[in-house]
Amino acid sequence: MSRAAPATTFAQRPGATLAPRAYEDVPYEEKLALWEEVKADPRFPDYLYGCYECGICVAACPSARFYDFSPRKIAQAAAREDVELIFEQMNDDVWNCSQCFSCDRCPRQNSPGGLITILREVAVRHGLASSQEALEGYGRVVYKIMTTGTQVSPDMLQPDAFPDWGPDVKEVSDQLDLWRRALPPETLHTTSTGWEVSEKTLLELYLIWHYSDVMDMIEEVDEGLHMIILDVMEETLEEAGYEI
Amino acid sequence: MGSDRLLVIGAGPAGLEAARLAASLGSQVLVVEKRDVAGGMPIHENYAALTHGFRDAGEAMSELISAATGHPNVELRTATEVTAVDGSVGDFSVTLSTGTGDETVDAGAIILATGFQHFDPGRETQQYGYYEFPDVITLADAEAMLKANNFVRPSTGEPPERVAFIQCVGSRDRQIGNEFCSKVCCGISSKQAIEVRQQVPDARVFIFYIDMRMYGYWENEIYWPAQEEYRVNYVKGIVTEILSKNGRLLVRGEDTTMGRPMEVPMDVVVLAVGMEPSLGTRKMAEMLGVATNKYGYIETPHGELDTVSTSVPGVFAVGAATGPADLDDSISSAGAAAAKAVALLRGAEVTV
Repeated sequence: MSRAAPATTFAQRPGATLAPRAYEDVPYEEKLALWEEVKADPRFPDYLYGCYECGICVAACPSARFYDFSPRKIAQAAAREDVELIFEQMNDDVWNCSQCFSCDRCPRQNSPGGLITILREVAVRHGLASSQEALEGYGRVVYKIMTTGTQVSPDMLQPDAFPDWGPDVKEVSDQLDLWRRALPPETLHTTSTGWEVSEKTLLELYLIWHYSDVMDMIEEVDEGLHMIILDVMEETLEEAGYEI
Repeated sequence: MGSDRLLVIGAGPAGLEAARLAASLGSQVLVVEKRDVAGGMPIHENYAALTHGFRDAGEAMSELISAATGHPNVELRTATEVTAVDGSVGDFSVTLSTGTGDETVDAGAIILATGFQHFDPGRETQQYGYYEFPDVITLADAEAMLKANNFVRPSTGEPPERVAFIQCVGSRDRQIGNEFCSKVCCGISSKQAIEVRQQVPDARVFIFYIDMRMYGYWENEIYWPAQEEYRVNYVKGIVTEILSKNGRLLVRGEDTTMGRPMEVPMDVVVLAVGMEPSLGTRKMAEMLGVATNKYGYIETPHGELDTVSTSVPGVFAVGAATGPADLDDSISSAGAAAAKAVALLRGAEVTV
């Protein structure tokens, strides 16, 4: 069932444009500030030129086949600087994107996926409730990536965790170490991380996450997770002589 | 007894160019213009900058007028109308009338450069309130304001905060009877949108369209800069009606690509009125007996490879007298007709 599209309102504000009715309780100035932050991102000019509203990005988008999601509308709202709609998308739409960048085939050379990257970052940076919700299920993945430098680890492969992966999962997980050692590259002979990560690499990753604003973004979304990650990192960093 | 004089009816861009070229090729050319001044629509309607090169219209037309009228083989008669034509190819007899009297001249060939008029947006099914709301204007009205560097809400004299262009007014409409595309309005609206943003930088500008028809280099020279540099908002969806609300205009339509109805306030609405054959084109076609199409434009019935010969031998038609045409088209067809007419006057065989 699709819900009825909200009518574009008679916007009283001179700066307002073709505005939907969602998030009326959020002050316009707040929405505008977020949009200004998106526009100020140094990547923005390379991600948006003008939009034909042709839909080539939607046809290429895997998410659009499964969700009520349109990369066209993201580019379109940004091209029109429709502040109200952009805020709505920042809350309700950008998390449906899988960041595969199939949409980069745009004839105007826009990158709707790139715009979404920026929109997500701004949403997270400002702790929008929707971004907290969207990232809630990813705490474990974020923890893994940020502490080990690899994403899903082989030992996460448990029959009860992923029943839809079929009956072979049990056999593989019972003999995980053996299966891993059967892989030709030695760097994959790991079970608690996706592959072997050297101490030097890990140290560099920790430093990057500290000196970019990634740690601040994590704190904004999930304070508990931030604390746990910080604990792990601090030990390694202190040993290497870094004071954070 | 034949005549080797070429008669050009209409001193707009196409007529002047045809006259200039035929004169350069050695023919004697008489240009008859019913208005008091030469220059056609760009002068009569106070165009600001030409589409698509943004050249000042007054300056560009002055050059063309000087080039044509400065040629010793060209005679220009303004405030003069053609009121009767007799004879046939090689030997036309043409009656010219001024306020003070008639004169008959001979001509071997005739080029009709009688052009177009803008669609009257008060006509028939249009519900845009052109004659009701002072802030609803046409492209031609906007040109005049832009030329004066004074783009304002006519009702208040203040600069507008929000400006909308509505495309295809009087074009592509079976109910009105103009089924054709007027070809130039998308480009002119986009050009004007850029000029509005230049003159009123704080204004938001919207263009409501069915299809944007930005041929060839109009795409990258007008359309893309309008969107990318001047942040003009293009919305696919044509306005159904314009109402007045709280002292502003309320435009109602569908934001088709967003899939929702829209009602948005505007300070100025510019109607992108299309082209129709001018009264002069209709009158001359009837007087000369040249075939016209159902819209009243002069037919060039010989197909794609002869765009200027009419159904009457020795009579050629150029520019927007034959259908919607931009300046590039008008100037090109004027050149083709000048060459064909001069060849004919010299007795050369010109086959299609």
